[in-house]
Amino acid sequence: MCPSRMSGSEPVRVTEADVDLLAAQVGLVIARERRAAVAQHLAGLLAAVRLIDEFALPETTEPALRFEP
Amino acid sequence: MSDAATSALAIAAAVRTGKMSARDVVAGALARIAQRDLALNAFTAVLGDRALADAETIDRRLAQGGDPGPLAGVPFAVKNLFDVAGVTTLAGSKINAERAPAARDATAVARLRASGAVLVGTLNMDEYAYGFTTENTHYGPTRNPHDPSRIAGGSSGGSAAAVAAGLVPLTLGTDTNGSIRVPSSLCGVFGLKPTFGRVSRAGVAPLAWSFDHVGPLARHAADLAAAFDAIAGPDPLDPACAARSASPCAGELDRAVDGLRIAVLGGHFARLAADEALQATARVARALGVGREVTLPEVHRARAAASVITACEAAAIHLENLRTRAADFDPMTRERLLAATLLPASAYVNAQRLRAWFRSRVADVFRDADVLLAPTTPWTAPAIGAPWTTRIDGVEVPTRGHLGAFTQPLSFVGLPVISVPVVTPGSLPVGVQLIGRPFEESSLLRLAARLEAERIVLSPVV
Repeated sequence: MCPSRMSGSEPVRVTEADVDLLAAQVGLVIARERRAAVAQHLAGLLAAVRLIDEFALPETTEPALRFEP
Repeated sequence: MSDAATSALAIAAAVRTGKMSARDVVAGALARIAQRDLALNAFTAVLGDRALADAETIDRRLAQGGDPGPLAGVPFAVKNLFDVAGVTTLAGSKINAERAPAARDATAVARLRASGAVLVGTLNMDEYAYGFTTENTHYGPTRNPHDPSRIAGGSSGGSAAAVAAGLVPLTLGTDTNGSIRVPSSLCGVFGLKPTFGRVSRAGVAPLAWSFDHVGPLARHAADLAAAFDAIAGPDPLDPACAARSASPCAGELDRAVDGLRIAVLGGHFARLAADEALQATARVARALGVGREVTLPEVHRARAAASVITACEAAAIHLENLRTRAADFDPMTRERLLAATLLPASAYVNAQRLRAWFRSRVADVFRDADVLLAPTTPWTAPAIGAPWTTRIDGVEVPTRGHLGAFTQPLSFVGLPVISVPVVTPGSLPVGVQLIGRPFEESSLLRLAARLEAERIVLSPVV
């Protein structure tokens, strides 16, 4: 499921079991009837993540977060 | 009495010179809302008694020789994401309906009221502003005044529909990935998403802190400018609000635009769009004598990063309610928010790094251009309840998500954008984005005013 370990042409696949496993890590219990839809949306988000990870950003590029003490 | 087509500035001028009373103007707006909103479902609350009392206060101040402000007596309404003192901020949700009423007005609401405008109600939206359609399951869909079987767009759908139907001449919305510009395009009105940090978000429920913007919608560029002048400027209550002072724009609309270097955005912004959207952009470009095309690099990755950052920040905001009462969320948003809680932290950090990189590339393009043009939406308003996917140029795209394809990469880096309405007789409206450098809203408003004066863009009451 990890997007960075898949080639660019391979679709991102997320199973309902993946959703269960990940949800437990953040203290979520996702109702059985919602898992398929959540898996589908997570696959879409991970495809977006892969687009970002595939791009070779300069190492010096810092996040565009703002904090002024 | 003013009618549905009277502009905000014409109302203010008439009220300030005693030709109309603010009370009559507001009563007229309330009558139009009562007559038409059952069919449109733009409003979630109408504040009739309070609005009439506020209008009477303005009339009394004028009678005593006082100055009630440049927007005296102008009825306005706000997306129900804004705090309004004494009203519960729904944020399009069932969950927030249980909250206590807001203690004070959001900064932008307070500033409009201080300018003499009269708040008449709050407006429908996608739950937590996480959508492009205003097909809200809790409060019902807002219908497009041009065709009630179609969506108004979102998430500020009520804000656009109320203006398009002439219920009020001015509304406020918010835009994180396109939520002012998309409904402005689909309903055929002017919508301004200012530079990130130009208008305070204090008292506005967040969707994603990195991208949330506040801005006005109206049927005339001059009204948009007057509202922007009223709400723009520093606010210590919003940590992202810029410290630099705002220069008034409304008095600058007649300044020439001939010296502006304008180009059309190609590449990503010319793909996977219906002919009417591309033709609308070409029409505006022709009117401005623009023949040059430029491209931005890696726009598809910029859009992907905007989606990831929005998802992560929204999920963080709603995580506790997702844990304890997921069933109370709108099904149109719930599964997307649940999925977003499962993303790794590296996804968010790298998306923010891409944002910094993309900002620099966009700045490079603006070295040789002052304003860029692009379609606002890839097509006109889809039907309410449309299929989840749509095929265009042989590619299957999400019908709802793709509405933000051309807006999302621009709010990603906080650029000011006006969506101007192109209306062709017999067709649904569609918008064109005028995109400027950070903090250069004035150029965009002047361009929008010129296009309106030449009737290339216009927003008739429907």
